Amino acid sequence: MITYVYDGSFEGLLTAVYEAYYRRQEPDSITMSGDLQENLFMEYVFIETNPEKADKVYNSIRQKISFEALQNVFYVYLSEHEEAALWIYKYLQLGWKIGRDVDKALADERVLRIHNLSRKVSWERHRLLGLIRFKKLQDNIYYAQIEPDYNVIGLVAPHFAERLADQNWIIHDVKRGTAAIYNCLEWIIAEVNGSVPVTLDKEEPVYQNLWKQYFKSIAIQSKINPRLQRSYMPVRYWKHLIEKQR
Amino acid sequence: MDLQSKLNILADAAKYDVSCSSSGSTRKNQSGGVGNAHASGICHSWADDGRCIALLKILFTNQCIYNCAYCVNRITNDIPRATFTPDEVADLTINFYRRNYIEGLFLSSAVYKSPDYTMELLIRTVKKLRYDYAFNGYIHLKAIPGADQKLIEEAGFYVDRMSVNIELPTNAGLQLLAPQKKREAILKPMGYIHSQINQYEAKKSFVPAGQTTQLIVGATQDHDFGILKLSESLYKHFSLKRVYYSAYIPVVNHPNLPSVVTKPPLLREHRLYQADWLLRFYGFHADELLDESRPDFDIDLDPKCDWALRNLHLFPVEVNKADYEMLLRVPGIGVRSALKIVNARRMGSLNYDNLKKMGVVLKRAKHFITCQGKYYGEFGMNNDRLIRQSLLPRQTASLYQPPEAEQLSIFSLLPDIPDRVSSVTGEL
Repeated sequence: MITYVYDGSFEGLLTAVYEAYYRRQEPDSITMSGDLQENLFMEYVFIETNPEKADKVYNSIRQKISFEALQNVFYVYLSEHEEAALWIYKYLQLGWKIGRDVDKALADERVLRIHNLSRKVSWERHRLLGLIRFKKLQDNIYYAQIEPDYNVIGLVAPHFAERLADQNWIIHDVKRGTAAIYNCLEWIIAEVNGSVPVTLDKEEPVYQNLWKQYFKSIAIQSKINPRLQRSYMPVRYWKHLIEKQR
Repeated sequence: MDLQSKLNILADAAKYDVSCSSSGSTRKNQSGGVGNAHASGICHSWADDGRCIALLKILFTNQCIYNCAYCVNRITNDIPRATFTPDEVADLTINFYRRNYIEGLFLSSAVYKSPDYTMELLIRTVKKLRYDYAFNGYIHLKAIPGADQKLIEEAGFYVDRMSVNIELPTNAGLQLLAPQKKREAILKPMGYIHSQINQYEAKKSFVPAGQTTQLIVGATQDHDFGILKLSESLYKHFSLKRVYYSAYIPVVNHPNLPSVVTKPPLLREHRLYQADWLLRFYGFHADELLDESRPDFDIDLDPKCDWALRNLHLFPVEVNKADYEMLLRVPGIGVRSALKIVNARRMGSLNYDNLKKMGVVLKRAKHFITCQGKYYGEFGMNNDRLIRQSLLPRQTASLYQPPEAEQLSIFSLLPDIPDRVSSVTGEL
């Protein structure tokens, strides 16, 4: 039994795919070094991240398979699923064999599981574009906390950089200790561990209250349907929704 | 009056308009501005009734000169009244938008003083947002029936979507419940907006996200068939993006209306939405779904199942051979599933298990398909009674309120809409 161990970065994952392909030594699993639980019967191959090899794989996916396949691979990587890397490898193997039609082979387990996972990540990204709530802070920064199931912060940041181009904002993934930070010109992702002390702008409570009231007024009393509401907006997101705070 | 009270009154008054969509526009954020449109729309929250909240949906004012019987804002109704200023609306929109509460603004209004006066107030508000606040987010504006065409034209260049609500599906209903409103005053601006959209289509500068309308269901005696025929002709002749259906929620007692204790016909509304999708995305015609002899949907069965059961001679179809259009007509198979099947079968023949794994819902479909020649329904194709039984939902009784006895048949005016319009705009 062979396990490939990579550093957890996307480049690391692509390097692992490169090695697996060229070493002709099929891995039985591919795991992040952080998740590694050593097992006596397992042979470990430690992959050193190599940008050149990663680039080769990246370009090869794009040219020999498709842009969609590349996006699928990246989204599945962001899912942080424990089998993600191995599934990606199997999917790419098939992809290099049949080319751009790989995404049509939906009856194939290797394609199906990638699509299902990729769609979940893409769906959460879309959901968060709506559910993120910024609070205005004293020093004219809009600050939002999120705790998404998947690591989608880098997927939502470009949307807000375009939309809220003229305001400073921070989207803080408190679950993963990362933040997307935008300064009216460009955004970066930085590590931000622990809680950040914030002081609200003095007008902030006014708009929060207006929004809460609006949220209440807009519901039609004779159609109240909490189950429907929760199916669209699962309870795990409520913690950071202004309108769901008392 | 403070802003909070105004917002309560004017959001409350706007909530019966069911349109929430924020899609269809690709307006970009210009340098120095705030906001853009998202082509497929974004929902920002879901209210306690499960409806999506995408736009700040408010009336500019609920002070109305009209006295439409079905409307909570009619002049003789004793309710608190409020009116925003353009600045208040702009400030609320911008501050909600910057906090990502909303996708944009949906601004409607009661008719205050006159249709022109009201329309001018609405235009002043959206201009303020676009110019003073450099707002490039989504704006859906109501066109006020009876307002001057010049005003409708001006407004169209500032907003993403416009709508004129037809509300009552027939002229007879209109005369009965809203005698001050003229059918022409509703259809004329729709025709005009349609022709303007066409004219500026290349630049997408006029109402780029298209126009919509709303029909109230259950306030009058109109049948589903008439309503669906109306929708069909609106899609065909005015290229409407959406027709919304709103189950009438009794808010007032009136001899011509269902009493206030009547429950809104939510399931009927749901069936109309399903049928509407069949028209827009599944290639169905209204005449296939209903006819004069059975003018209303079976409330227990979705319209596609109902159609399939009446056309069992067309089934079962082989999933590996049936064309896309026919797959779409199989109960339980939607656009997404049909596309998946068409793609996947190019790579190899599909069996029942493949379909299941691909996420095709087979609970209903299995009665109408074969996979590699094999049929998986329990009852066989000639037992339509048992198939029907198995397609019925377990309980629908709690949702559904039986309609009151029919007294009038008043959809005779429907078929002539396109003609009326062409005489108005001269180009259909």
